[in-house]
Amino acid sequence: MTKTRILNPTRFPSPKPLRGCGDANFMEQLLLHCATAIDSNDAALTHQILWVLNNIAPPDGDSTQRLTSAFLRALLSRAVSKTPTLSSTISFLPQADELHRFSVVELAAFVDLTPWHRFGFIAANAAILTAVEGYSTVHIVDLSLTHCMQIPTLIDAMASRLNKPPPLLKLTVVSSSDHFPPFINISYEELGSKLVNFATTRNITMEFTIVPSTYSDGFSSLLQQLRIYPSSFNEALVVNCHMMLRYIPEEPLTSSSSSLRTVFLKQLRSLNPRIVTLIEEDVDLTSENLVNRLKSAFNYFWIPFDTTDTFMSEQRRWYEAEISWKIENVVAKEGAERVERTETKRRWIERMREAEFGGVRVKEDAVADVKAMLEEHAVGWGMKKEDDDESLVLTWKGHSVVFATVWVPI
Amino acid sequence: MPVDLDNSSTVSGDASVSSTGNQNLTPKSVGKKKRNLPGMPDPDAEVIALSPKTLMATNRFVCEICNKGFQRDQNLQLHRRGHNLPWKLRQRSTKEVRKKVYVCPVSGCVHHDPSRALGDLTGIKKHFCRKHGEKKWKCEKCSKKYAVQSDWKAHSKICGTKEYKCDCGTLFSRRDSFITHRAFCDALAEESAKNHTQSKKLYPETVTRKNPEIEQKSPAAVESSPSLPPSSPPSVAIAPAPAISVETESVKIISSSVLPIQNSPESQENNNHPEVIIEEASRTIGFNVSSSDLSNDHSNNNGGYAGLFVSSTASPSLYASSTASPSLFAPSSSMEPISLCLSTNPSLFGPTIRDPPHFLTPLPPQPAMSATALLQKAAQMGSTGSGGSLLRGLGIVSTTSSSMELSNHDALSLAPGLGLGLPCSSGGSGSGLKELMMGNSSVFGPKQTTLDFLGLGRAVGNGGNTGGGLSALLTSIGGGGGIDLFGSGEFSGKDIGRSS
Repeated sequence: MTKTRILNPTRFPSPKPLRGCGDANFMEQLLLHCATAIDSNDAALTHQILWVLNNIAPPDGDSTQRLTSAFLRALLSRAVSKTPTLSSTISFLPQADELHRFSVVELAAFVDLTPWHRFGFIAANAAILTAVEGYSTVHIVDLSLTHCMQIPTLIDAMASRLNKPPPLLKLTVVSSSDHFPPFINISYEELGSKLVNFATTRNITMEFTIVPSTYSDGFSSLLQQLRIYPSSFNEALVVNCHMMLRYIPEEPLTSSSSSLRTVFLKQLRSLNPRIVTLIEEDVDLTSENLVNRLKSAFNYFWIPFDTTDTFMSEQRRWYEAEISWKIENVVAKEGAERVERTETKRRWIERMREAEFGGVRVKEDAVADVKAMLEEHAVGWGMKKEDDDESLVLTWKGHSVVFATVWVPI
Repeated sequence: MPVDLDNSSTVSGDASVSSTGNQNLTPKSVGKKKRNLPGMPDPDAEVIALSPKTLMATNRFVCEICNKGFQRDQNLQLHRRGHNLPWKLRQRSTKEVRKKVYVCPVSGCVHHDPSRALGDLTGIKKHFCRKHGEKKWKCEKCSKKYAVQSDWKAHSKICGTKEYKCDCGTLFSRRDSFITHRAFCDALAEESAKNHTQSKKLYPETVTRKNPEIEQKSPAAVESSPSLPPSSPPSVAIAPAPAISVETESVKIISSSVLPIQNSPESQENNNHPEVIIEEASRTIGFNVSSSDLSNDHSNNNGGYAGLFVSSTASPSLYASSTASPSLFAPSSSMEPISLCLSTNPSLFGPTIRDPPHFLTPLPPQPAMSATALLQKAAQMGSTGSGGSLLRGLGIVSTTSSSMELSNHDALSLAPGLGLGLPCSSGGSGSGLKELMMGNSSVFGPKQTTLDFLGLGRAVGNGGNTGGGLSALLTSIGGGGGIDLFGSGEFSGKDIGRSS
């Protein structure tokens, strides 16, 4: 009792600095001030903050430190691009890991390290199967970030439907030059032949079509080709958008016209698809203001760093290198080079409704499948169904990560 | 309002704090809705730090009306129907509940920080149990141990059951992963090159799971689907162990003893100060040794990582304290009061964070001061880390001691600092941020960077001396000028962090 009393006064000043150092808030504030200093051309303050951040956030530290280290490299990249002479005075930062170019087998394992992608795959595949019931031909336009990793399970599910002849499966994908991860080390022709081969083993006839088209103009050549070759009799057109629409520029073309993102959705609507699935990450990275963007990114990308503690070292390096690439794109790039322009679920739902799409709720069977899948991952992963809209949301420790929505023309 | 009262009374220890928070938060929620960004903890959310006792409690679904607890949400829903509420009243009560985020009561834990709060009650319970709780559940096959029963269940499902195998030799526990892999594996291409009779063998390789397991899963899915609050898989509540009850009793004793100390803390400070420090320092060293052993038991090896980080970072004492904090809780019940006292701090910070709009200060000097203050804070930490053994001992001793006065001190000291935090709060909006940036550009001219920076250093000192709030701080601490500068940095750092 006596000792407890005596200890109290001595405690006042000391604990605060100790707690401050590991504080994610502290690191975020330093990052924000560094961003402000860079954009206001304050080289001295920039240098000071970069030095401090380098000391308190080693790239091999805990998840918060690795996150901060990624942002630190991004800020340095931005600073050097604005003030090239700065690179000669700042030499204490290690180089970021190179992005891995996956074989398709490596990518298949990579997408299942976390539920990040499988969540959307399960929800979309279930919705597609329900929508194409009874059609003799299914035409799937796969606008997917993961290079058709979703398609094998869809093929398998189609083949497994009993008492019905499997439909003809037409798969159309978009090929464009490598501008964002993940990268694969084979061509889309080879990828397509593997898929056709797999479909054959499941007794499904499959056609694989590659359309050269780019996100930067809203996939205009793809839309044009879909208009030229309209759906045949009893053919269901399915458009699967898995984390790809974010790359279509959302800035208005001119002050009075719509953005390419809006134009794309309206033209998609005019094709009268049977169903559209939209899976995206739930974060706003579109602000023109660097500090706002950095703040949003910092409060979202802690999630992948937090989930990687159970990975093997090589997988973790690949995974975090990809996240670091995205962070650098958000923080250090501007204009057309800044391709990571993710919008929030709320904004996407507004866009879809403006384009005259109506939301469809994912069926309970798929929800159960998602839950079963989540049970085999780290226990922080969860899922929730929104009451306000028809979306399904993947959560990490209660925070929204990825949302899955299903749409039909109204 | 009735709902708020019910919520506050559910947490006995933290009730007063959270009710205060509710009152302060309500009028400002409208103004701050614009700053809510998805994916980050909701600025309007109530930050709650539950005590370890509450986190280990079994009845986690509490009726808003009569505060009765239930183990399952379904039971709670059935119970609420018994209240015969009109439909509209039910909906209102549901809507009026403000979103809550939860922080871990263990200091040094990454989720102790409000910016790393968890969004659901189930999540914080599992986190606490998994990271800081006793591992009672053991897998019979591979002897892995888990603190959360559902973790143990999830592991038991997949332990030793590699049910899918590709021709290339890779094993898969999930059929989806197997199907995806197989589609792209070269083994399939080789198969197709052979006869068609070979292709028939593809199907036997995909051995399906046993039916009883499937049946076991479906009831769980049914149970979990109607319950909205738990976003993670349902978990069976852990029965309270006698050890926990013992800890609870000791916590009560110590917490009650803390109150009388408030009256006369300074009277005996000078007399016994040196001796106690030495004793506590030796004890802390002992704890550090034991903590390294305990940390090795963690299945995810976070403890091991922490040990490595200590040697690799510039401030080893910082990580020593962070390593000690979670493990100190487990071995000895005397460490309980630390968690209790620390758990109240975030709640205190919560309501005070919202005060910045009431304090008016000139905008231009604030961002510079904030950045400089952050750097000073970092420098202070650096000196603490690199200091002699006496300084280390001081730091460690201070972190291990506990008192309600810490909370009082923080509450008092935050008031003047929050005024300084106003620009950071307004910085959340676009217009405010533009003003900040303009201020920066005017203050930090490219040609006069060094001179202006030195000038700002002086400005920080002057501001500290002339501020009325800081003079109040002087009376409360009774320290020298150096402490003033440091305190100023502390306030700015905290306010900025909390307000954003």
